[in-house]
Amino acid sequence: MAPVVQCMGLTKTYGRKIALNQINLNLERGRIIGLLGPNGSGKTTLIKIINGLLKPTAGEVLINGQRPGVDTKLRISYLPERTYLQPGMKVFELLQYFQDFYPDFRVDRAFDMLARLQIPPQERLKNLSKGTKEKVQLIMVMSRDADLYILDEPIAGVDPAARDYILHTIVSNYNRCGSILLSTHLISDVENILDEVVFIKYGSIVLQAGAEQIRQNERKSVDQFFREVFAC
Amino acid sequence: MLGKLMKYEWKATWKLLLSANVLIIVMTGLARCMVSLVDQAGRSDFRMVDFVAVMVLLTYVGSMFAVCVGTTIFLIHRFYTSTYGDQGYLLHTLPVDTHHIIIAKVLVSAAWVIINMTFIYMSAIFLLATTSEIFRSMMEGMVDMIEYLGAEKISAFTVIMTLIAFVFSVFAKVLKVGACISLGQLSPNHKLLFSFAWYVGVYVVEQLVQSIYFVITIYFQEQIANSDYWSYDSYFDRQWETALLAGIISCVVYYLLTWYVMSRKLNLD
Repeated sequence: MAPVVQCMGLTKTYGRKIALNQINLNLERGRIIGLLGPNGSGKTTLIKIINGLLKPTAGEVLINGQRPGVDTKLRISYLPERTYLQPGMKVFELLQYFQDFYPDFRVDRAFDMLARLQIPPQERLKNLSKGTKEKVQLIMVMSRDADLYILDEPIAGVDPAARDYILHTIVSNYNRCGSILLSTHLISDVENILDEVVFIKYGSIVLQAGAEQIRQNERKSVDQFFREVFAC
Repeated sequence: MLGKLMKYEWKATWKLLLSANVLIIVMTGLARCMVSLVDQAGRSDFRMVDFVAVMVLLTYVGSMFAVCVGTTIFLIHRFYTSTYGDQGYLLHTLPVDTHHIIIAKVLVSAAWVIINMTFIYMSAIFLLATTSEIFRSMMEGMVDMIEYLGAEKISAFTVIMTLIAFVFSVFAKVLKVGACISLGQLSPNHKLLFSFAWYVGVYVVEQLVQSIYFVITIYFQEQIANSDYWSYDSYFDRQWETALLAGIISCVVYYLLTWYVMSRKLNLD
C-alpha cells in the first residue's frame, strides 16, 4: 500500500525566501507523526501544501497516490492553527455543516465530545471563548474517520490542563487505520504519543526517525534531542 | 455539493440582507404616509408637516443609498473573508470542486443584488404612485419619450432579452469583483490593496473598450441613418444584443480569472 503522503522535491519560495527546500518525505499509515521544528521552519507551509491551500513552486505531493484535490480532501481532516469557523453559526449548525460535506463525519462522536466538555450545541460560536472555539474545531476534525489527520499547532496557546484534554481527544478518537501528522514546537507535551518524528529546519528535513529509535540510539528524550539539533 | 454550498452561502447572508430589504419597506411606508399627509393638509405658507415630510423623504433617499452601498460592501466582505480570509481554510479544504465554490457564491450574491434592486425600484414606483398628479405626469412623460424614440414597436421578445441581458450584467459585476479580489491574491503582500488596484485597472480597460465600441457604433449608425434603412426599432433591437454579448463575454473572462487563481494559484496566508 502506498504511503499516505509522498513529497518529492517539494519546494516553496516567496520571492527570494525559500520556505521549503527540496523536501522528500514519505509518511506511512497507522502512525502518529510529529512534525517538529522551531517557528518559521516551514511546518505550516508543508501542511498547507498537503491540504491544497498553497501551490508548491516545484516538486509534487501525493496523498494516497493522488495530487491534492477533491478526492484527497475527502480523506484528510485538517485542523489549522487559526479559527476558520463562521462566528454567526451555532455549534449544532456546524455539526450539520460537517455532516453535509464529509461522509466520514460521525455526528454521534461529536455530540459525545461536546457533552463531555459541556459545550451547549445551541450556543453561537461568537459567544464562546477562544479556547472553547479551538476545542470545538478539534472536535469537528477528530469526529471524522479520515486517512490522515493534520493538526497544526493544536496545543499552542492553551493551558496545560487543556493540552492534556486535547492530546487525549486526539489519541482516543482518531481512525486507527489512518495517520496523524501533528505539528508543534512544544515537544515535551506530545513526545509520549508520537510514533515517529520529522525534524524540519530552514525548510529542509533534517531527520525522520522513530521516537523510540531516538530514545534508544541517542539515550535522550526527543525533547532533549530536539533542543540539541535546534540549538541557537 | 453545489446545492449544499448555496444553502450555506444563503444562510450566511440572508439575515442581514433581508433586514436591509425590510428597512426599504418600512422607509417606503413611512415616506408614502408623509406624502399623503402633505397632500391632505390644507395649503398655507409654512406648515410643520412640510418640514417633517422633507426630513422623512431625505431619510428615505439616504436609507436607499445606504442599503445599496451596504449590500455591496457586505457581499464583497463576505466573498473576501470566506474565500481568502480565515474561513477560506475551511472552504478550500471541503471536498468540493472549485467551479462549485465560484458558482455558489456568484449565484447567491447576484440573487441578492437583483432582489435589492427590485425592492428599491418597486419602492420608488410605490412612492410616486402616492400623488396621482406626479405619477400621471411621470407616466405621460415616459409615454412621450417612448413615442419620441419610436420604441412602441419594441416586441415582447426584445423586452425579455433585455431583462436577460440585465441579469447577465449583474453576474458580470459580481464576477468582476470576485476576479479582482482573486487577482489581488497573486501579490505576496498588501493583497487587498492590489485587489483594489486590479479593480481600477479593469474598470479603465472596460471604459476604454466601451468608448472604442461607441465610436465605431456611432460612425456606422451615422452611415446607416443617412441611408433609407435607419429606424428606431432596429436601434433598440440591437441594444440587448450588444448588452447580452458584453455580459456573456465579461462573465466568461471574470469567471475564468477567478477559477484560475483559486485552482492554480491559491496561496492562503
